[in-house]
Amino acid sequence: MKMETTAVDSVTVVRCEGNLDTNTSVEAQDTLNQLMDDGAAKILIDFEKVDFVSSAGLRILLASAKRLSSSGGGLRITGLNDVVNEVFEISGFSTILDVFASEEEALQGF
Amino acid sequence: MIPLGSIAIRQSASILEARNKIRTVAETVLHDAVGATRVATATSEIARLLLREGNDSRIDVGLDIQARARWLVIDFIGHQSLSGVNELAGLFDEVDGPYDVSGENLVRGLVSLPGSGLPDEGSIATLRSVVEKKGRDELIAEIQIKNVELQDSLDNLRRERSAKERMESELNIGREIQMSMLPLSFPAFPDRTDFDVHASLYPAREVGGDFYDLFLIDNQHFCFCVGDVSGKGVPAALFMAVTKTLIKSRAANDLSPASILSHVNTELSHRNESCMFVTIFLAILDLEIGEMVYTNAGHNPPYVKRADGSLLRLDSRHGPIVGAAEGLAYREDREGLSPGDLVFLYTDGVTEAMNEESQLYTEDRLKGLLSNHPCSSVEESVRVSVDDVWDFQGEAEQADDITVMTVSYSGPSEDVESNRLELRAVNRLEEIARVNESFNQFAREHGIPDAIRRKINLVFDELLNNIISYAYGDDDEHLMEIVISLVNGRLVTTISDDGRAFNPFESEAPDTGLSVDERPIGGLGVHLVRSVMDTVKYERHGRRNVVTLEKIVEQ
Repeated sequence: MKMETTAVDSVTVVRCEGNLDTNTSVEAQDTLNQLMDDGAAKILIDFEKVDFVSSAGLRILLASAKRLSSSGGGLRITGLNDVVNEVFEISGFSTILDVFASEEEALQGF
Repeated sequence: MIPLGSIAIRQSASILEARNKIRTVAETVLHDAVGATRVATATSEIARLLLREGNDSRIDVGLDIQARARWLVIDFIGHQSLSGVNELAGLFDEVDGPYDVSGENLVRGLVSLPGSGLPDEGSIATLRSVVEKKGRDELIAEIQIKNVELQDSLDNLRRERSAKERMESELNIGREIQMSMLPLSFPAFPDRTDFDVHASLYPAREVGGDFYDLFLIDNQHFCFCVGDVSGKGVPAALFMAVTKTLIKSRAANDLSPASILSHVNTELSHRNESCMFVTIFLAILDLEIGEMVYTNAGHNPPYVKRADGSLLRLDSRHGPIVGAAEGLAYREDREGLSPGDLVFLYTDGVTEAMNEESQLYTEDRLKGLLSNHPCSSVEESVRVSVDDVWDFQGEAEQADDITVMTVSYSGPSEDVESNRLELRAVNRLEEIARVNESFNQFAREHGIPDAIRRKINLVFDELLNNIISYAYGDDDEHLMEIVISLVNGRLVTTISDDGRAFNPFESEAPDTGLSVDERPIGGLGVHLVRSVMDTVKYERHGRRNVVTLEKIVEQ
């Protein structure tokens, strides 16, 4: 999975491409940890070009959200396709993570 | 001498009866009531003597009409000489005897009659009817005997009728069970272009235990059989039902007809107290390579009508009738089928059909028909052959069930091959990506919507990850088998592994209502799989875990 990072004001925007699954989540976790280690407090992950997210991917999202919220920052998510959205709904992640319809909406008030 | 009849003296009631009869007769012929009473009294006295000496005596009455004399003749007949009869002689005009007439003792009393000439026929008939008239007791005794006889024959009739009705209704029930078990709707597999099948069974009025079955074991293997159970009625129908069920359940996990019939035979012959048995021809056709594996257990040899018109008789026998002896091992043979070939199966009801001249239809006639007929479709081939049997049979009654089944092979269909994706993956996590890539290509080729493709991707990621991470307790390489097939708008996926027995769907769904901080990490994968699929199923097959998942593909 490709992860492209850009800064928009105080928010680190991570645009993903591919799948967030068993094989890619380890690398994704490393990337996110590195960003947090480097001081990123507010992270917005854009899944627009992601095909599917499996429970392994959800796991790293949860871990990152926990770490960010404990340090006063936060994790926001956007660009879910129907299936990823369904996975978020089924797993309850749509209520415990902050999901937005677009990058613009997600950036407002972050 | 004109006989008027005989009065049996068997019991005291006979005496009074004899007295009354003689008085009536005497009065009629004497026209003298006093004389008649005298004769009647004499008769009853002698009858009393007759009764005293035995119960097998009788009084014969007649008229002796001579030119110069006319007599009423009363013969007293017993087994011994009558003592005291002489004292009564004065009561008759004349007494003859006693004589010994062929072992019987006879005393004849004669009464002279007035007038002359022959009495007319009418009066003789009247006199006879008086003498022969049955006494009340005699009548009652006779009626009682008749009643017993009637009751007996009525009972017999009832017994026969109810036995016949019971047999009829049992045969009917048996026939209903028999017919209800048959696949009767054709075309049976309208979505298949690689083969076709047709069958007809015409039950005989009384005898018959024919059956057939046809089913797909999986997408690639078509199983069909024709059989004939010995016997009739409900027991035969139940035996048939058991046979069919055993074949079908065994075939689900066994693609060898020899092995299937060996098992069915063992099951059926074990405690087969009714000593029924069944002839079976069982075949499994591999639709992808066109190979038919078959076992013939005492059944009529089927024919293969080749696409080029030639005819092959499958005459090998692979074991005796099924159900007769335990522990037999049946054999099997293989026959390659080419596109356009047709397999023709039948029961002995065809070859042993009889016409009005009691001639048999014979296999030769069937062979001739199959040689000359093009057999262009399964349905037509069944119809033509059955019609030929009807033509032959004419007005003769059908003696046995008549069954014909035809199976045609058209070669592996493009659809069958491309509708199916088989993958093997070793127990390394990187393999999951390869499986998903292969599936994505299959999905593109078959126009599977992205939403469904992504769900299958998710399923593979979750389940293969589980297997690779947790199923094996060693560092060896293991093979996982994945089969994806698209049948009738349903996407069916099976994943099997040889890891430790584990049913992933037994675990409880996690609590998805907890907050970020309360959430335990993990435990979600199987819940997601169950949620995004329409049906999920776990089975343990031998040493392998098999998970089957289905998803309706919305077009």
